[in-house]
Amino acid sequence: MARKRVAKERKVLNGGFYKPLTEEGISHIHNTSMEVFEQVGVKIAYKPVLDLWKKAGAEVDEKNMIAKIDRNLVMKCVEMAPKEITLCGRDPKYDLILSGTRTHMGTGGTALNILDIHTGERRSSNIRDVAAAARVVDACDDIEFFVITCFPCELQKPVVDVNRFYAAINNTSKHVMGGVYTVDGIRKLARMAELIAGSKDAFKARPFMSMITCIMSPLLLDKDYTALMETACLMGIPLATPCAPMAGSTSPGTLAGTLVQMNVEALSGIITTQLLNPGHPTLYSVVPTTTDLRTGAFCFGSVEMGMMNAAAAQVARRYNLPIYNTAGPSESKVPDAQSAYEPAINVLLSAMAGANYIHDAAGLLESGLTISLQTYVIDNDIAGMARRVLAGIEIDPDKLALDCIKRVGPGGNYLGDEHTTAHMRDEFFYPVLADRKPRMVWEAEGKLNAEERARLLAINYLENHKPLAVDPEIDSQIRREIPEMLTETGKVYGE
Amino acid sequence: MKEKLFEQIAEAVIDGATSQVVSLVNEAVSKEIPVGEILNDALIAGMNEVGALFKDGEMFVPEVLVSAKALQAGIDIIRPALVEAGVKAAGRIVTVTVEGDLHDIGIKLVGMMLEGAGFEVINIGVDKPAKEIIEKVKELKPNILGMSAMLTTTMANMKDVVEMLREEGLLEEIKVMIGGAPTSPMYAEKIGGHYSADASEAVVIAKQLLGMA
Repeated sequence: MARKRVAKERKVLNGGFYKPLTEEGISHIHNTSMEVFEQVGVKIAYKPVLDLWKKAGAEVDEKNMIAKIDRNLVMKCVEMAPKEITLCGRDPKYDLILSGTRTHMGTGGTALNILDIHTGERRSSNIRDVAAAARVVDACDDIEFFVITCFPCELQKPVVDVNRFYAAINNTSKHVMGGVYTVDGIRKLARMAELIAGSKDAFKARPFMSMITCIMSPLLLDKDYTALMETACLMGIPLATPCAPMAGSTSPGTLAGTLVQMNVEALSGIITTQLLNPGHPTLYSVVPTTTDLRTGAFCFGSVEMGMMNAAAAQVARRYNLPIYNTAGPSESKVPDAQSAYEPAINVLLSAMAGANYIHDAAGLLESGLTISLQTYVIDNDIAGMARRVLAGIEIDPDKLALDCIKRVGPGGNYLGDEHTTAHMRDEFFYPVLADRKPRMVWEAEGKLNAEERARLLAINYLENHKPLAVDPEIDSQIRREIPEMLTETGKVYGE
Repeated sequence: MKEKLFEQIAEAVIDGATSQVVSLVNEAVSKEIPVGEILNDALIAGMNEVGALFKDGEMFVPEVLVSAKALQAGIDIIRPALVEAGVKAAGRIVTVTVEGDLHDIGIKLVGMMLEGAGFEVINIGVDKPAKEIIEKVKELKPNILGMSAMLTTTMANMKDVVEMLREEGLLEEIKVMIGGAPTSPMYAEKIGGHYSADASEAVVIAKQLLGMA
C-alpha cells in the first residue's frame, strides 16, 4: 500500500533582482573594455588563432603576438554568438536552457585532493573519486549539473580526458562539463559522445557534455589552451572559456578594474570561438576572484568575489550572452562553519543576480584544491535555499488565502486546512540535511553535527543511489574503440 | 471480496478522501460486514499506514490531519453499531493547556494525531486552573490526561495538577502525559507524568500507557 511521492517537476527559476551595478556602471565597464581591446589588445600565443583574428581585421603585433581590435569587430563577433544555449542531461529532466536571467547551480573543478569520506584524511584524488563525486551529486536534487570536480592524479595525461569524462557520465545523468587536457583526448571524447548519443547530429541536438578551456589573466590566450579551444570548437562541442582574474595580482586591485579586464578576457573567448565556428555555443565565462593583499593569498570565497560574479551576470546580459560564472568554493580546509558561510553568501549573490550557469557551487574546499563528498551534501542545502529565494513570494488570490482565513477564523489552526495541504509541498523548501528535530530526538540519534550527518548521507548515496548508467552495449563499444579506457573507470570504491 | 473493500477504504483514508471513505464504509455496512472488522482491518489499518508514511517523511503533518478527518468520518458512520457491538474506542484522552498559558497549537496537533490513532480526544481549553482540570477529569473519566505548557513559568502548574490528582486518589485510575517547549523527560518523571517530544511520539506513548503497543 506504500505510495510513491510524485517527482516534482523542476521549476524554471529566474534571478536578476540583485544588481550591484547601475546601468551607467555597466556602460562604463563596457566602454572601458572596448578601450582595452583597442589600445592594449590581447596576447594570442597560438599562431592559427592569432592569424584568424588578423584575417578578421585585428591589428596584430606579430613579434609579441598581440592583437588589438576595434569595438565594431568585437560587437560583430558578439552578435554571431548564440543568445540561448541548451546544455542537456542524458536524462532530459536535467536539461538547462541558459539565457536571460534563468539560473542554475552546479559543481566545479578541478581539485587535486579529496578528503577521504571514511577517514577524513586529505589524499590525492583518483579516477574512483571522479565517479564518487558524480554519484553523490546525482543524488543531490538542488545541484543541477556536474562540472568534473577532481583530477585522477594516478593517470598519465594522454588518458585523462576520456577516463575522467566517462567516469562522470556513468555516474550522473545531469549535464557533464569538464576541463580537457589534450587535443587527442578531445577527439576521442567527441567520438565517445557520438556513440552515447547515437550519432553526431544526435549529440549536436542534445549535447549532454561540454568542455572548458581557459584564458589566462591578464589578457593572454595561451598556446596550449587555445589549441584545445580550437579543437573543441571544430568538433562542435559546447564550450566555456573561463578567465580567472585575481583582483590585486593578475588584475587591477579594484573590483571595477577587474570587471573590465574580465570582460575583455571573456569576450576574447567569444570572439575566438565565433571566428572559428560562427554560432558556436560558447558561454561568456568568468571566474573573477580576489587576492588577500595582507599575504598574497588567493581568495576563492571572498565576499568581493560574490559581488563581482553577480556584476558579471549584469555585464553578460548587456551582450545577451549566456553566462558561466563562479560561486561557492571556500578557503576552509575542512567542512566547517567557514566552508558553509562563504558558499552561502556567494552562491546566493550570484543566484539573485540571475547568472545562468553558476559553477563551483558545491563541494570545493581549500580554495578549490580539495573536494569533499560531504560538502556536496551541505552545499546542496545551500543551493536549495538559494533556489527557494529565486522562486520568490507568489501573490495571487489563492496564495493570499482569504477564503482559508475565513474558514479557520480567530483561534483556529491552519495545520488541518486543505489550503495548507494544497500548498505545503511547493511553498516551502525542505532541507535534506538541516536538523530540525527536538533536542531529545537529536540526542537519542547521537548528537550528530551537520558535518557528520552530511558524511553519513554521502556514504548512503554512494552505496545506495543508482544513477542512470550508460547502456551496456554502448559501454562495450566505447571500451572496444577507446582502449585506454580503464576497467575501473565509472566505478566507486568497493565496486 | 471483503479484503478488496478494506484495502480501498484504507487507501481512501491514506488519501484523506473523506467522501470516498464515507461511501465505501456505507457499502461495507450494507454488505453486513462486522463493524469491528471495518474499524480495525480497514480504517485503523489505513491510519497505521499513514503513521508509517509520516515517520518516513513521505506524508506531512497537514496530510496526516486530513487523513485523520477522513478516518473520523468513517468511524462516525459505524459508531452506533460499534457501541451496540461493544467495540470500544482505544481510550479517552482529555487535553488541556495549564493555567497562565494560552498556547494551544501544539496540544491541538497532539489531539488530532491521537484521534487519528483511534483515541477519543476531548480538549478542555487553555489557561485552566488545577481545580477546574480535576473537576473535568472527574466528570469525563479519561484514561489519560494530557497537559501542555509553553512557558517555564506556567510549567510548574502541571505539578500542582498532578499533586491534586494524587490527593483525590485519581492517579490510580489515569495516566498523565505532558509536553511543550520547556518540559523534559526529567521534569515529567519528577512530577509523575510521561513526556513526549512531539505529536507522533505522543501517539506512541499513549498506546504504551494503555498497553496497546
